Amino acid sequence: MVASYRSVPKNSHVTAQQTYQTIKKAYKEQVKQKSDTLMNYFLASFFVVGLILANFYDTWLFAVGVGGLSLVAYYSVKLLLPRTETYQYIVSIVFGIFMAQFIYQMHGLFEMHFIAFIGSAILITYQNWKLQIPLAALVIVHHATFGYLQYIGYDKVYFTQLDYMTLQTFIIHGILATVVFFICGLWAWQLRRLNERQIELTYEMGRFQEEQVQQKVLLRSNEELKKSNKELDGFVYSVSHDLRAPLSSMLGVIGLCEMGAPDPFMQKNISLLKSSIKKLDGFIMDILDYSRNSRLEINRQEIHFNDLLSDISNNLKFMGASDQRNVEIRMTIRNGVPFHSDQSRLSIILNNLISNSIRYQNPEVPDPFVEICVDVCETAANILVRDNGIGIGKENQEKVFNMFYRVSTKSVGSGLGLYIVKETVEKLSGVIKLKSELGGGTEFSIRLPNLSN
Amino acid sequence: MDYKYKYVMVIDDNPIDLYIAEMVMSTTKFAEKVICVPSAREALAYLKPLNDRPDELPSLIFLDINMPEMTGFDFLDEYQHLPENIRKKCIIMMLTTSLDERDRKQAELNEFVKRFLNKPLDRDKIAQLM
Repeated sequence: MVASYRSVPKNSHVTAQQTYQTIKKAYKEQVKQKSDTLMNYFLASFFVVGLILANFYDTWLFAVGVGGLSLVAYYSVKLLLPRTETYQYIVSIVFGIFMAQFIYQMHGLFEMHFIAFIGSAILITYQNWKLQIPLAALVIVHHATFGYLQYIGYDKVYFTQLDYMTLQTFIIHGILATVVFFICGLWAWQLRRLNERQIELTYEMGRFQEEQVQQKVLLRSNEELKKSNKELDGFVYSVSHDLRAPLSSMLGVIGLCEMGAPDPFMQKNISLLKSSIKKLDGFIMDILDYSRNSRLEINRQEIHFNDLLSDISNNLKFMGASDQRNVEIRMTIRNGVPFHSDQSRLSIILNNLISNSIRYQNPEVPDPFVEICVDVCETAANILVRDNGIGIGKENQEKVFNMFYRVSTKSVGSGLGLYIVKETVEKLSGVIKLKSELGGGTEFSIRLPNLSN
Repeated sequence: MDYKYKYVMVIDDNPIDLYIAEMVMSTTKFAEKVICVPSAREALAYLKPLNDRPDELPSLIFLDINMPEMTGFDFLDEYQHLPENIRKKCIIMMLTTSLDERDRKQAELNEFVKRFLNKPLDRDKIAQLM
């Protein structure tokens, strides 16, 4: 129960981490695909614009040659390296080349410089600020080279339509262009960060809801468990009552027979009946003890060993068969500190052990006894139940704690007694050990933790 | 012929247990007359009119717990509303097959219950009450 409860959140955490990564990846893939589609339209448009501009100064060869080469470069890289982002950097360069191409085609028309800004804005869609770098670099190299070439009077460079451009104008031009690239890069970076945060939040929210649902399920199953435990408890209670009531009626009637039947033959038969009924009753009570121990929670209280043991020995005084001698019950209790445990469970343990000592007394020893030594300290109670009964052979010592195991056909119990003892000791987080020799008595030593806090 | 008690009442839904109680009590001279009632309701109906004739009230009432319709504990709830004359005269003993700790505790907490006995009722148990 405990183990499975622990493993649930752990597993869900692992899968949750995986789910988170998957969602993030899927989102990135979506951004990439949408942007790629947009890029197809923009590049085609740029190429067409080049063709249109060719009409002004008859630059057809240039429009088809440079624009076509750019497209070929872009699509071949995209085709060859579809998994990497290289083609996105290529598109950045291609935008720069288109700007240069348009400026040339329009013979230095100043407005054609805006193409660089349009390209920069388009690149935001990939949400990657680094894509601005190749474009910016290309623009700077282009401006520096062609501006200088025109300045020194190189023919047909067509960088600007101005006759003369001061260095100051050129620097302002450069600074403003840099600012645009910077801002577009910033937006790309911010967009990515915001979206990632959004995914994270959505995901956390989902997980929170899932956890709440899980908690509700856990709570409900816990309640159901409690309910079914209660029902089972009621069931066991009525079954045990309904099974035992007729038995006690039988014992009552047998008691009446004993009172008025002097015939020894009848007396013998009656006592046989009686022992059978008692055996059956004992069996039912064992099953009751077992089910109570396995289901009920530990009911911690202070244990008064003197009272507990004298109660038990009073109850067991008359339990021996009529042909058996009374077994002397000796008690030594050393309890300097209060001991806390579950009284009814302790009673089950001691009842079973002491009644075993009485039941399996050795007819060959003159003074059958069972000795109970209790030693209580801060952390635990050590309980020793020792008798001089018939003992248990080495080969059977491991098996006596098994369910329904009975050492010999002469064993009179249900075969549940020591099994219940072991289960009950374990329920109280204790340990039980057995030391015995055939014909030399039996010693059970139990260590139960003190549940004082 | 000196009986320990003149009237003793036994409330039990099982006729065999009533028979056992009656036989044990009469042969041990525990009670001169054993009033056997098969249900708690009938027991209350029997006791109520005896308010005017307290001599006829049972000295002891043996009460079963597990009974249909009205359990032993239901009977005790009703019993406390009976006139004081009746309550003063009668001593209640639980007589049950139940070994359940909760039953025992609940019975011990009730002010009217003097003892908690386990079935079957036999000579030894009666001897202890004598």
